[in-house]
Amino acid sequence: MKQLYHDMKPWLLILLRRRQHFVIGALLVWITLLAGLSLLGLSGWFIAACALAGIALAAGLPSMLDIYVPGGGIRFFALLRTVARYAERLYNHNTVLTLLADLRYRVFGDLTRLDETALKRRRASEWLSRLTADIDTLDNLYLRLLVPPFVGLLCILVVSGFIAIWLPVIGAVTALVLSLLWLVVTLGYGWFGFANSYQQVNDQDELRRLVLDQVQASAELMSYQTNDWYRARVDQHEMRALSNQRQLAHKSAIGNAIVAAVTGMLVVGVLWLGSFTLAAGHVAGPILVMAVIAVLGMNEVFTTLPAAFLRAGASYGAAQRLNGLSAAAKDVVMLNLPDTSCGHQVVFQHVSFHYPDAAYSVLSDITFTVPAGERAVITGVSGAGKSTLASLTMGRISPTQGSVAIAGNAPSHLMPENRAEHFAYLTQQVDLFDGTLADNLRVANPDANDTQLWEALSQVGLDRWVRHQPGKLTTQVGEKGQQLSGGQARRVALARLMLCDPAVVLLDEPFAGVDQFTAQHIARSLDSWLIGRTVIYFVHQVEDASLLPKVEYCWRLAEGGLITDTLDYIGNN
Amino acid sequence: MLLTPRTWLQMLAQREKKRLSLSVVWGVLAGGHTALLVVGLAWVIDQLVVQGRPPGSLTTIFLGLLVVVALRSLFQALQEASGAEASLRIRQYAREELLNKVAALGPVWLTRQQSGALATQSVEHIDALDGYFARFHPQLRIVVALPLLILCVVGWLDYLVAVFLLLSAPLIPLFMALVGMGAERLNRDQFRAVSRLSAHFVDRVRGMATLQLFGHTKVAQQDVWYATDDYRRLSMRTLRLAFLSSAVLEFFASVAIAVVAMYVGFGLLGYIDYGPSPSLTLFTGLAVLLLAPEFFHPLRTLSQHYHDRAAALGAAENIVAILNEPDMVPRVATAPTVANAVIELRDVTIGYVGRATVIEAVDATIFAGDVVVITGESGSGKSSLLALMAGFMAPSRGKCCYQPGAQVAWLDQTPCIIQGSLADNLRLAAPYADEHAMINALQRAGLGELLRQLPAGLDTQVGERGVGLSGGQSQRLSLARVYLSKAPLVLLDEPTANLDAATEQAVIQALLAWAREGRTLVIATHHPAVVAVANRHFMCDSGQLVEVVS
Repeated sequence: MKQLYHDMKPWLLILLRRRQHFVIGALLVWITLLAGLSLLGLSGWFIAACALAGIALAAGLPSMLDIYVPGGGIRFFALLRTVARYAERLYNHNTVLTLLADLRYRVFGDLTRLDETALKRRRASEWLSRLTADIDTLDNLYLRLLVPPFVGLLCILVVSGFIAIWLPVIGAVTALVLSLLWLVVTLGYGWFGFANSYQQVNDQDELRRLVLDQVQASAELMSYQTNDWYRARVDQHEMRALSNQRQLAHKSAIGNAIVAAVTGMLVVGVLWLGSFTLAAGHVAGPILVMAVIAVLGMNEVFTTLPAAFLRAGASYGAAQRLNGLSAAAKDVVMLNLPDTSCGHQVVFQHVSFHYPDAAYSVLSDITFTVPAGERAVITGVSGAGKSTLASLTMGRISPTQGSVAIAGNAPSHLMPENRAEHFAYLTQQVDLFDGTLADNLRVANPDANDTQLWEALSQVGLDRWVRHQPGKLTTQVGEKGQQLSGGQARRVALARLMLCDPAVVLLDEPFAGVDQFTAQHIARSLDSWLIGRTVIYFVHQVEDASLLPKVEYCWRLAEGGLITDTLDYIGNN
Repeated sequence: MLLTPRTWLQMLAQREKKRLSLSVVWGVLAGGHTALLVVGLAWVIDQLVVQGRPPGSLTTIFLGLLVVVALRSLFQALQEASGAEASLRIRQYAREELLNKVAALGPVWLTRQQSGALATQSVEHIDALDGYFARFHPQLRIVVALPLLILCVVGWLDYLVAVFLLLSAPLIPLFMALVGMGAERLNRDQFRAVSRLSAHFVDRVRGMATLQLFGHTKVAQQDVWYATDDYRRLSMRTLRLAFLSSAVLEFFASVAIAVVAMYVGFGLLGYIDYGPSPSLTLFTGLAVLLLAPEFFHPLRTLSQHYHDRAAALGAAENIVAILNEPDMVPRVATAPTVANAVIELRDVTIGYVGRATVIEAVDATIFAGDVVVITGESGSGKSSLLALMAGFMAPSRGKCCYQPGAQVAWLDQTPCIIQGSLADNLRLAAPYADEHAMINALQRAGLGELLRQLPAGLDTQVGERGVGLSGGQSQRLSLARVYLSKAPLVLLDEPTANLDAATEQAVIQALLAWAREGRTLVIATHHPAVVAVANRHFMCDSGQLVEVVS
């Protein structure tokens, strides 16, 4: 219970920061429900009063029934219910969307503090859809788990209080029974369905992974003729998942039946108790009718509660997963590199790196030095550890053993802003964002003017192509840069890099996907931009040494180790 | 016949017709008991208030009402449970159908798809059908039956009120259309906006490393907030309209109550002497008043479930798109006619829809024990030939004959690691292999050292959620699969691509070992050391397959 509170607290706090929204939203729901109850209750009272007055009139007795006030009341409540319902839906929807912005802001903030290793594990699209689903689950918490029980309590209070004005005993009984029912369908049901709904999300994840594997292993499954065996595995899991869902469905059905039974029996009970009060002449008939109808309407207040609280476990699971993010988010030692105009020295000493949970070392015992302002090239097949080496250089990950020093400092201790200032890294897989070309370039330098952007584009030989686009700099690059070819995307990424002013530049395959002519052009612009910076090129293999001018050092990564290459054409230019 | 989302949903509903109908029956019974309860309440109130009967004389009636309440709860639970059960079974069937289809489309089709999206479809999209079958579908029938039943009761009590409700009956389809249009539009707009917004968020999260590299995270975080907030403002504009339709329904339901209350009240006072009004009593008046909201109740429930329908249609659209793809895996295999042949290609042409022919008029026979390499530039059709021999697809012309039902060992350049233990990964090739055989296979593939280091041994979880394996280790695990399987034919697609020298050597050793075992090997490769292992050499060149005679 304590753990539960602890895990939910940060999210509840975010929701409760919009207290005003919560109170107004809940009040609107409450008014809607009460208007409905009042409409029916007042109508009942009116009919009963009219019936009694009618009988009296027929018997020739004088009767004083004001039909205008109740009539007006009925019309008022009819209108109020409609208006309040409309306002409530609109207002609460607005709140939910506001909270969505808050939640996404918060989660995104946690994500920005994740380090390379943590991010690497979280890039798969399944994980991303899980993440958005979790945020939506917490967002829904507000409308499903916070507002309805609160409004429910308010309604119990008002209805039983109202009845108690004339029928104190019945009012007390109503309050007692409904409060107990409230406890059962909120806290009770949260507990009752907790394990099931918690399990349901895990089941879905598991099923998703099983299907993913079926798709990815389809060649093996079909050729080895093991499709049936694998499908039996999927079916077995699905049966378990479905039986869990069946339990949830049954629990929900039981919950709704309990609400209907308890409120129904309470109505009958109120009428039965009231009949004695009526017979004793302590209460007027119309009042009793109104009390009965008010209790009858309480059914509606409770209907959404059992199903919503059954899913509390799923909300908890979502909160737990998102908490995992902020736990993995690291705050760093604050350190700044000195400013320089001639690059930094890069020193690796006996560096080994081992991803947590991996059965192998990516890098072992790597030692090398690149003096400030010099250029080096490191070759290796894909998977040899080039990007790990780059991340170690920048301090985005720390070595398992050994040490990395940039200008004498451990780069993993750098302030993130300072790291971004001193390093530039063209990654193997470039990320472009859904937006305009200019937006993407300005990620590197928000203050860059259009002239600078065009200059950067011309350095990678893209200016002509961009000038031919109707949108020019406002051309949309599409999600993941899909509107551009792979080569174009890499060139945009390179142009983006050249808008920065780093001391150390790491370039992973800067010439991949471009033709010979463009490669030469890019190499020339790079050459002049790289003056006064320390440079490490990472390439599969050196195909054309003229693209890598002034390179003094050449190493090859193989089986985790670094071998000095003696390719004599390196550095001849 | 091509499926449409609607026809597919109908077909699914047809499968669980009985349970769905039962759900309707229980729902109508539950609604009927609600009607019975309020009529009973009205009668008791009339007896107490107007007739002045002592409460003691009504004990039986009170007990009867309790029974009605209990029955109503029971029916309601049954309605929910049978709807849920129908939905469960339908979803199970739909997932089976989808997974069968995925198997029938085969590996060649799947390489062109995003596997993550397919997994989402089989989980999220199938689950999105839940609300439609569990709630919306039964409610759509209840909404016809239940108001009619209530109308009959009201008519028996006071036909004028019934006439009034009946007059509003033609309005019901109108309401539904209104609600439907609103919900439809709401859903369409929302769906688009939500997915665009989620895409924005996911896009930024995906590029987090880049944002960090440029020190751009703070700005991006602000952007996330503003984008969501902009979306809020935009969507509030559409919602203002969309919610109006349900407000209209709410309004009519409220007005109906008010009108009935007025009519009954004035009738009881004797102000109306038209039709049945003079004979109104507290009993009939109260009963019709309480029945009026029940008349509208099914419709309101339906409008609450309307988004279930839109969600199901959206999901169905995605799934149906896959179900409508033509199967690629051939249903029947033909055995080779030449003696001792493992594979016989007769005048085979391979082509894909919308693309140029890959390879044409191939005639070749591969005999048992042959070690065959196929070389050629990338895109020359090597992989397609292997896929053909593995039975992943059918030729667009000609015949590819192989032994029906024969196991084939498959190995390509991207080793496949499934979630699960090392043993599970080996079982992919031989589900019923014993532990000893598995350890032996791992040792032969050069993973004996690794196995000794792992405390959990064969039960070690590998893959994303377990121990990470290097590219070389993963490829060795694929080799171990081939060692473990008894498959007489081994098909290998670029088995040495992207490997370090040591693993490359292990692969070549394995090829030699399998050849010695007498297995037939067909290898697509461009690696000279692998070519040297072979005794027959084919070349794919400009759409032709030629055997190189050395």
